[in-house]
Amino acid sequence: MEAISHAGTVLGVLAADGVVLAAEKKVTGKLLDLSVTKEGGYGGSGEKIYLLTNNVVVGVAGLTADANSLVNYARTAAQRHLFTFNEDIPVEQLAQRLCDLKQGYTQYGGLRPFGVSLLYAGWDPYYQFQLYLSDPSGNYSGWKATCIGANNGTAQSLLKQEYKEDIKVEDAIALVMKVMSKTMDSTTLGSEKLEFATLTLDAETKKPRAKIYRPTEVDALLLKHGLAKKEDAEMK
Amino acid sequence: MEVSFALTGKDYVIIAADQNAARSIIKMKGDEDKIKALGSHLLMAYSGEPGDTIQFAEYVERNLRLQQMRNNHPLRPQAAASWVRRSIADSLRSRNSYSVNILLGGYDMAENTPKLYWMDYLGTQSDVPYAAHGYGSYFALSLLDREVQKRLVISFPSFRVKVVDAEGVREVDVDMSV
Amino acid sequence: MSIMEYNGGSVVAMVGKNCVAIASDLRLGNQALTIATNFEKVFPVTDRIMLGMAGLASDVLTLRDRFRLLVNMYTIKEEREIEPETFAHLVSSTLYEKRFGPYFIEPIIAGLSKGSNKPFIASTDVIGCINFAKGFVVCGTATDKLFGVAESLWEPDLEPEDLFETISQTLMNAVDRDAFSGWGVVVHVITPEKAFTRYLRARMD
Repeated sequence: MEAISHAGTVLGVLAADGVVLAAEKKVTGKLLDLSVTKEGGYGGSGEKIYLLTNNVVVGVAGLTADANSLVNYARTAAQRHLFTFNEDIPVEQLAQRLCDLKQGYTQYGGLRPFGVSLLYAGWDPYYQFQLYLSDPSGNYSGWKATCIGANNGTAQSLLKQEYKEDIKVEDAIALVMKVMSKTMDSTTLGSEKLEFATLTLDAETKKPRAKIYRPTEVDALLLKHGLAKKEDAEMK
Repeated sequence: MEVSFALTGKDYVIIAADQNAARSIIKMKGDEDKIKALGSHLLMAYSGEPGDTIQFAEYVERNLRLQQMRNNHPLRPQAAASWVRRSIADSLRSRNSYSVNILLGGYDMAENTPKLYWMDYLGTQSDVPYAAHGYGSYFALSLLDREVQKRLVISFPSFRVKVVDAEGVREVDVDMSV
Repeated sequence: MSIMEYNGGSVVAMVGKNCVAIASDLRLGNQALTIATNFEKVFPVTDRIMLGMAGLASDVLTLRDRFRLLVNMYTIKEEREIEPETFAHLVSSTLYEKRFGPYFIEPIIAGLSKGSNKPFIASTDVIGCINFAKGFVVCGTATDKLFGVAESLWEPDLEPEDLFETISQTLMNAVDRDAFSGWGVVVHVITPEKAFTRYLRARMD
């Protein structure tokens, strides 16, 4: 629990036509090798936001090593569901699978629980877009907008003030950006500090499409919302 | 010597199965129900090795019920069919396999479409507009009309017929004397 | 009666100039009785690789699901798409795992390599012995007919449209002489720019 309250903030907002996730990165610096994040893969820099399956992206806060193991477990669980039922795993069921695992480690002595909270952004044909939060004890709950990690109290009250029912993805992105810029410790926002993802429905195929933004795309988004750093020449 | 038929319409699936429970040349029963309702919008007709059929049908019925209780919603026909197929395919390569042939018909409430799946004991599955199992299939698949009754070597005296559509599952009476 | 002929069905793949084509018939049968005429035996693996399987329909479906699981896990962990050669070895080892109780299917793999766009086709037997062919590969109940027609129709360096014509004629004429395959065919052509799929009606009897 202690680790989570110090971890980088992860923010999620549920919109009528999608879900938005943003996360603050803690491991940064000029010497960090980010060359693999520029192309290939699913985007992102692999610290806070992960693609679990076609229809679910997740943001993690807490011990990164524990998170990696949980992400791997979730991906396997999602594929097993696809294998037996020929359908993408419903979002709540995936959250439940992880929570069953997490709860197990609170039962017995000798083992340490997973020090990770997760935010799940997903879509399934049963309940459409969804946002769930799970904590290390194995509790989970569904949200319209919520936050985990450092300063989550501040972010929570900001979201409470600003969230409107039937918000659209575009506005949700703006809301997430605004709250993120106010809650993060650093005064300036940039792709080296921020991870960002959206989950929407493809207009043509009506299938869910998860997009984890690449560093350049995050910078472009910040610029669009007028939150980019003033002197960002040096970081490029 | 069992027969079952099913076909999809614009917004429904209709399934019929004979009602005989027979062993060798002896007929034990003439009012057996071989179509199970596996939820509000799902029907399954089963035939094959006596014993296996009921055992497997109840296994499917209870597992799908458990899923519905855990997840607060029933599986869609496509997902239920995949699960049933997986169960048959896994059983085929086990020491004791189930010899059960299945017609699974349901109404998909998410997409508002009727769905029908043909499955055999090998775990073969096919998404079809009309289907049949048993000797009747040799006639039904080519004719798919009332000639079945006339041409079938063993003419069953009665059929149990069930329909599934957006309203759910219901049984219909069919006059066989025509 | 062989279990490999129980459901019927045939698949063929061919190499063209910077492109590959793979095609299957659409019949699903129980020996001589046709159950369905919409049973596809070729499945996309990535945007640039396709897998075709002929043999026991139950195993076709089981392996379709297994390979989807394995490829999804590969893609998400490696953060890149699998290469045709790599996938062929994945197929091979998956089949060999069941060496003494095999899946009753023969697979065909067709795809383009990532960087060079080099066409790749291969087939294996039921226990995963790979055959890296350079022109065409065939499998299924019409195997012998397919070999004959393909041998005379196929030539090297065909353009996508010509390759489509060649593979379509090969398959349609071969399945016309096979009672267990037919009821229309589906043809997939993969080029570096795009992939297209066409359904053809053949002799429907």
